[in-house]
Amino acid sequence: MADIRDRYDALVIGGGIAGMQAALDLGEQGFEVLLVERTPSIGGVMVGLNKVFPTLDCSSCICTPRMAESAHHPRIRLQTYTEVRRVDAVGTGFRVELDCKPRYLDEEACIGCDECELACPIEVPHEFDDGLGARRAIYIPHGNAIPQKAVLDVEHCIFCGKCERVCPTNCLDFTAQSRTVHVDVGAVIVATGFDILPMGAKPEYGGRLPNVMSPMAMERIQSSNGPYGRVLRPADGKIPRSIAYIQCAGSRDRSIGVPYCSRVCCMYALKQALLLRHYIHDVDVTLYYMDIRAFGKGYEQFYRRAVAEGVKVVKGKVARVTEAENFDLLLRVELLDEGGRVDEHRYDLVVLSQGLIPAWHADGIIDIEEDADGFVHTPEIKLNPSFTTMPGVFVGGVAAGPKDIPDAIVEAGEAAMAAANYLKRFRWRSRTPAAAVAV
Amino acid sequence: MPVQTTITAASAAPASAKPKRPIEILRERHGGMSKELKDYFNEQQKIYKALRAALASGPRTVPQLARECSLPSPVVMWHLMALRRYGEVLDGPEQNGYLLYTLKGA
Ligand SMILES: Cc1cc2nc3c(=O)[nH]c(=O)nc-3n(C[C@H](O)[C@H](O)[C@H](O)COP(=O)(O)OP(=O)(O)OC[C@H]3O[C@@H](n4cnc5c(N)ncnc54)[C@H](O)[C@@H]3O)c2cc1C
Ligand code: SF4
Ligand code: SF4
Ligand code: SF4
Repeated sequence: MADIRDRYDALVIGGGIAGMQAALDLGEQGFEVLLVERTPSIGGVMVGLNKVFPTLDCSSCICTPRMAESAHHPRIRLQTYTEVRRVDAVGTGFRVELDCKPRYLDEEACIGCDECELACPIEVPHEFDDGLGARRAIYIPHGNAIPQKAVLDVEHCIFCGKCERVCPTNCLDFTAQSRTVHVDVGAVIVATGFDILPMGAKPEYGGRLPNVMSPMAMERIQSSNGPYGRVLRPADGKIPRSIAYIQCAGSRDRSIGVPYCSRVCCMYALKQALLLRHYIHDVDVTLYYMDIRAFGKGYEQFYRRAVAEGVKVVKGKVARVTEAENFDLLLRVELLDEGGRVDEHRYDLVVLSQGLIPAWHADGIIDIEEDADGFVHTPEIKLNPSFTTMPGVFVGGVAAGPKDIPDAIVEAGEAAMAAANYLKRFRWRSRTPAAAVAV
Repeated sequence: MPVQTTITAASAAPASAKPKRPIEILRERHGGMSKELKDYFNEQQKIYKALRAALASGPRTVPQLARECSLPSPVVMWHLMALRRYGEVLDGPEQNGYLLYTLKGA
């Protein structure tokens, strides 16, 4: 791969489904795009999901072709493992400072054979599996990662040198260092996505107990390439017989600074619950909810299907989750359809339907405003939903607020269109016409 | 930060000495291996050893391994799944709601 050029038409920050879509839409229109992703692989959250509501398509199966397209597009330059340190307006365009982190190997030469990972002696919790699975200090991010290149996590390296000895291409470069790169672009699209609210945000829900899971952990253990190969309890490997979902577990709650509805957690919980009914014969799955928000195309039908296939939905306010003997969980709930009667139930596993929070803050990096909740502010939400408070900077996907995959894709496409119009209006050119002809 | 004696010797050596190996440069730049990481790594090796020894005498569930190795079962689960991921341990049949795990080649 050629090195980063010093000029592109557009910078896309974030290589999730929204960022990839924006980059592809711009690339298809003839613009030169720099797609920057801070982790070692593109794909964002979607590539780690099991299946998607409401179609139950395999998520990575529909996400990886987009990833490959973005990586191989002639007008998209992919830059993974890189942070955007600063974006400054210069005329109608922007000066960008990037911090390219070292993988400690020659990315060009690495063939992704995984020999280094197999030789590495230390194991640490794998972020991709929400910590439930293991990876080594040098590793290929995951089976569907793009690029399929190893990365050395120096924080966990014991400096044994084994990886270097087994690498068939001799591509390890222990002397590599991070690199600062400056690039000029004509427009910027922010597609930095989201994180899930930390598990300990509401201590009464027992988020730190081993059998109280995050929804992402549940996506991973349901996945065929997940950390256990099947659905088991993290505390002791038991096949769960009863599972409770606590809805709005970290949303619509001013006390934790998340007053908004996260919009996808009713649907992902119903999806996971329905799939659990498929994966474990006769398992008891109950959703404790305040409202079910099934707003999208085909979502109400999906809700009815889940209930028809045995998912129980109970209107109830969960007061607390505590641990009983053998890592079982006691859930205390106020049943709202029974005049507030308080009931206690024992479960093998509890999943907290945690809310979505911004993964990144513009503060000190780019002078765009954020909403009170930290998502990128969109001042013209009705007519120009991808506009930010800075001309030439646009936003797409969950970076602007919680949404599902179809909405993230639509919004990213809109951001690409708005960026294209902006570039055309100011006649930004990333190449001199002569250079463009020569390529 | 603990720096290995070999490195100290190498850096004190005259300019004509053999150049440092790249891995030593990496180690030096990161101030050597921290005590926490060293302890973590040693502890991990001990756990794997105990699990392998217990599994050598036959298939086990996670609670059985936890009892035999006197380890908390969440710790057994994580390390067992790590061994499984890297091909040392295989899933066996179900026993009273738990899976039995076997050592590959045992
Ligand atoms: C458990 C769960 C299940 C879900 N299931 C479904 C489902 O079945 N169907 C559905 O439609 N939706 C589902 N969703 C919602 C779906 O995940 C999101 O709509 C979608 O992933 C949003 O994509 P995105 O690109 O906006 O964000 P992300 O996927 O978060 O991608 C953002 C990317 O930007 C990168 N990034 C962040 N900051 C920076 C930075 N400073 N510099 C460079 N890169 C950066 C991140 O590393 C990441 O790769 C689910 C969500 C959850 C939590
Ligand atoms: S052994 Fe070398 S070529 Fe193979 S994945 Fe590791 S670094 Fe890449
Ligand atoms: S040098 Fe570091 S990354 Fe390489 S094998 Fe040893 S511990 Fe793993
Ligand atoms: S989507 Fe459902 S669970 Fe999530 S915050 Fe909104 S109402 Fe609560």
